[in-house]
Amino acid sequence: MSDLFVKPGNQERGWNDPPQFSYGLQTQAQTGQRKNILNKRVVPPQLGSQRAGIPSVMPITPPVACQNTPPPPPKSSDPSDISKPLQMPTVVSECEVNVEDVLTPLNKTLEACRTTVKKQICDDIGRRLKILQDMWQAGKLSETVRKRMHTLAQEMAQHNWDSADEMHRSLMVDHVNEVGQWMVGVKRLIAETKNLPPGLILPKEEGCESEEKLSV
Amino acid sequence: MATYLEFIQQNEERDGVRFSWNVWPSSRLEATRMVVPLACLLTPLKERPDLPPIQYEPVLCSRATCRAVLNPLCQIDYRAKLWACNFCFQRNQFPPSYSGISEVNQPAELLPQFSTIEYIVQRGTATPLIFLYVVDTCLEEDDLQALKESLQMSLSLLPPNALVGLITFGRMVQVHELNCEGISKSYVFRGTKDLTAKQIQDMLGLTKPPAPVQGRPPQPQEHSSISSRFLQPVHKIDMNLTDLLGELQRDPWPVPQGKRPLRSTGVALSIAVGLLEGTFPNAGARIMLFTGGPPTQGPGMVVGDELKTPIRSWHDIEKDNARFLKKASKHYEALASRAAVNGHCLDIYACALDQSGLLEMKCCSNLTGGYIVMGDSFNTSLFKQTFQRVFSKDLQGEFKMAFGATVEVKTTRELKIAGAIGPCVTMNSKGPSVSENELGIGGTCQWKVCNLDACTTLGIYFEVVNQHNAPIPQGGRGAVQFVTQYQHSSTQRRIRVTTVARNWADAQSQLQHIEASFDQEASAVLMARLGVFRAESEEGPDVLRWLDRQLIRLCQKFGQFHKDDPNSFRLSEAFSLYPQFMFHLRRSPFLQVFNNSPDESSYYRHHFMRQDLTQSLIMVQPILYSYSFYGPPEPVLLDSSSILPDRILLMDTFFQIVIYHGETIAQWRKAGYQEMAEYENFKQLLQAPLDDAQEILQTRFPMPRYVDTEHGGSQARFLLSKVNPSQTHNNLYAFGQESGAPILTDDVSLQVFMDHLKKLAVSSAS
Repeated sequence: MSDLFVKPGNQERGWNDPPQFSYGLQTQAQTGQRKNILNKRVVPPQLGSQRAGIPSVMPITPPVACQNTPPPPPKSSDPSDISKPLQMPTVVSECEVNVEDVLTPLNKTLEACRTTVKKQICDDIGRRLKILQDMWQAGKLSETVRKRMHTLAQEMAQHNWDSADEMHRSLMVDHVNEVGQWMVGVKRLIAETKNLPPGLILPKEEGCESEEKLSV
Repeated sequence: MATYLEFIQQNEERDGVRFSWNVWPSSRLEATRMVVPLACLLTPLKERPDLPPIQYEPVLCSRATCRAVLNPLCQIDYRAKLWACNFCFQRNQFPPSYSGISEVNQPAELLPQFSTIEYIVQRGTATPLIFLYVVDTCLEEDDLQALKESLQMSLSLLPPNALVGLITFGRMVQVHELNCEGISKSYVFRGTKDLTAKQIQDMLGLTKPPAPVQGRPPQPQEHSSISSRFLQPVHKIDMNLTDLLGELQRDPWPVPQGKRPLRSTGVALSIAVGLLEGTFPNAGARIMLFTGGPPTQGPGMVVGDELKTPIRSWHDIEKDNARFLKKASKHYEALASRAAVNGHCLDIYACALDQSGLLEMKCCSNLTGGYIVMGDSFNTSLFKQTFQRVFSKDLQGEFKMAFGATVEVKTTRELKIAGAIGPCVTMNSKGPSVSENELGIGGTCQWKVCNLDACTTLGIYFEVVNQHNAPIPQGGRGAVQFVTQYQHSSTQRRIRVTTVARNWADAQSQLQHIEASFDQEASAVLMARLGVFRAESEEGPDVLRWLDRQLIRLCQKFGQFHKDDPNSFRLSEAFSLYPQFMFHLRRSPFLQVFNNSPDESSYYRHHFMRQDLTQSLIMVQPILYSYSFYGPPEPVLLDSSSILPDRILLMDTFFQIVIYHGETIAQWRKAGYQEMAEYENFKQLLQAPLDDAQEILQTRFPMPRYVDTEHGGSQARFLLSKVNPSQTHNNLYAFGQESGAPILTDDVSLQVFMDHLKKLAVSSAS
C-alpha cells in the first residue's frame, strides 16, 4: 500500500526529530484502537510488595530459536548511538501511468464545469492542471504521486467525490512539496464538479479497470 | 481493591470525571484532615462515540438561583408530572412536551446510564469556524518554505466552509486582503506602535460608515461583508491563498551583522485579536501564531535586537534583571483576556533553537485554551505532524475541536466550589455554591474555556461545608453537576451535562471506607496542579516545602505505624503509589527549573495544566517498560536498577519517547544477530519496543521527540536523568552485588526520600 509508510524525521534541523507517518497511517491510528496501552506502574519495594526477581545469570548470546549456536559476539567496540528509523518498505509496482490517463478526464470534467462555474475560476483550475502536466512531463513528480493521481482521476470518473477528495488530502499531507502548487486546482475541481446540477456531470465511465477504493 | 479500580475506571469512561475521594468525609473539619482536598479532574468533552446527542433543549430547574438540569438523580412524581431538583429540592412542573412520561416511558435524561448526556440546541445563527494565521516572515529560507507548505497543506484539512485569514509580520505587520480577483492587497502597520481595538478597526475599514439613508441598527449580514475582505471561506479562496502563501518572501528589511531581525509579534497579535473582536465576537475562532524567534520591537518585545544581549534566563529573572519581562507579559495578558472575552483562542507554534518568548506569551494560550507547540524548526516532522493533528477528526469524521465553552458547576448544599485549574478564565459568576476559600481560579462557579479537545481537562476543587455537629443521615449522597455549553466543530451549539453522586461517610466511624475510596492517581495530578499553580507566583522551594508537608500529613493520617518506629510504617494499597508520584513530581520540570530555560518551563507547564489524567501522570512519573526474553513486556520501576544489560527499555515522558538498549542487547545488535534466521526471536525482541513506540507516536499531541539509544550512548542521559538514582557513584560499592546502572548524581533517591518520610510521619514530635 503506497499510502501507508513512515519516513525518518529531519535530524538535520530537529533535535531527535520523530519519524513522519503518512496520512493513511495517521488516520488509521486516530480511529483505530491501541493494541498495547503502556500505562502500568510498579509499587516501589520500600512500600511493601515484592519485586520480580531478576535472573542473575547473563547469557552470552541471545537465546537461540533453533539448534546450532554461533560463536559469542565480539565484545565491545565503541558504544555510539545507533539511530534506526522506524521504516516500512514501500511497495511500488512496476506499471507506469501515462500523463494523459490522468489529465484527459480531469480536463473533460473541467470543460463540463465551464457551463456553470465562473470563467475566472475555471481558468485558474486550468492553469493549475497545466502546471501538473508540465511537472509530470518534466519528470518532477515521484512515482507514488503519479500513481495516486491516476487513482484519483479514476475515482472522479466513477463519481466517488468523497474518496477523490480524501485522496487529494492524503497527497497534500504526504507530498506537499511536489503537489502544493497545483493540487488546490484539483481540490477545487472536485468541489465544483460535486456541486454541478446532475444533468451536467459527465456520465460515469463504463468498465473502468479497477475499483481501487480508498479504505478509510 | 479491584472493585474500586473498576468503579473509578467506569466512571472516567462514562462521565470523564475522576475524584480524589470517592466516598466523601461528611464534615468540614474531617474533610480538612484528609489533607488531599475533595476535588476532581473533569474532561468535559471526553470522547463518547457511543453517546448519541439528543435534539432538544435540557429541562431546567425553575428556581432562578439554581437552574440545574433535570437528571437521573431527580425524584419524579409521574402522576402529578412533577420533578424535584436534587440540588435545591424545588418541585418543578414538567414542560408540556413531557406529558406522556411514565415509569415505563422515560426520556433519556432520566435513565441512570445517561449520567452524561449531550443536547443539541438551536441558539442564534451558526457562524463557520474561523482560522486566522499570523505568520512570522523573519525565518530562514528553508524554514519559511516548510512553513508555507504546511500552511498550504492545512487548507486541505480545514472544513471547506471555514473562514480563513492571513496576517504576516516582520518589521512591519501586513493584514492581507483576500479576494478572488487575483490582485493581492494588504494593509501595512508599523510594528512599533500599539493600537487600540477601535483604531485597528478604523484603519482596516471595519467600522461601518454611518448609514447614509436610514439609521437601522447594524445588520450582521452587512457586518460580515465588511470583514470578508480579510476572512474568506476556504472553498472560495483556497486557490488564491495558496498562491499568496507561495509568494510569501522573507522579511525584506536588512538585518545588520550582530543584530536580531526586528519582529513585531506584539502588534501582529494585537491586530489579530482586534480584527476578530470587531468582526466575530463570540464565534469560534483560532488565531494561530507561527513564529521563529522572540519579539524584538514594539509592545510585547521580549529582548532587544542586539545579539550581544542574550534573552532573559532564570538567573536574570531571579536577579530582577529581565528588563522587558513585566511589560511584555502585561501586553500579552491584556490581549489574552480580550480574546477570551470573545471566545477566541490563540495558538503559538514557536520553532527556533533559542528561546522565542514563550514565558511572556504563554498566557495567550493558557487563558484561551489554545495550544503551545515548541520545536527547533518548521522543517521538522515534529512541527509538521503536530500541526496536522490540530485538524484531526474523530470516529464520526468531526473535527476534534470545540470552541467558546462555558463550564458551570452545581453542587448539593453540603459542598461549595473552591476553584478550578486548567486552560480557563473565570466568568465571575458568584452564587450560593461558591466558596470563600479559593483554590486555583476561584470566586466563581463558571469558567470559560475558549478551545477544548477530547483531552482538555480541568481540575475542580471543592470544599465540604457541612458542620461537624449536623451529621448527614446514613446513606446520604452528595451530588455535583457539570454543565458545559460549547460550539461543536460542526458549528452546532451543544450542551453536555454530567451529574454524579458519591456517598457521604462519617470519618470517625467509617474512615476505612473513605481510605479505600482514595484515587491516588487523580489525587497526585490534582495536588500537582495545585503545586504548579502556586509555582507560577511563589518561589520554587516554598512550593516543594508545601508539597512535602502535605505528603507527611497524609502519611500520618493514613499510614499504619507504631509511634517513633519508622520500620513499622505501612500504607494501604490505595496509597501505595502516591509517595512515589510525589517524589517524581518534586524532580519534574514542572517544579524544577534547573536545566530548563524559562520558555521550556512555560511549555511543559502549559501541557501539564491541560491534559487528561493519564497523560498528566505520564508527565509526573514517566512510564518505563522492559522487554526481554523472559516474558512479555512488563512495567518496571523507574529506577536505575531497572537498567539491565539484557533488557530493552521503553520510556515515555510524554514529551519524549526513549528506547534504550542494554549493554548486551546493544552488542548483539551490533554483531548483527537479528539478521540471522536462527535468531529470529532476537529480531522480534528488537522490534517489539519499536512497534509500541510507534503506536504512541502516531496519536500523541503534540508529537514527542524520539530517541533511540543504548548503553553508553550520549542520549542515554534522557533515561538516566529520569530514573530514581537508587545506585549512584556514592553508594556504588554498597550495591556491589546487585546489577543496574549507577547514576552520577547527588540527587536524593526514592529510598532516602521514603526513609525521611517514614521518620517524619511516625515522629511523635510533628
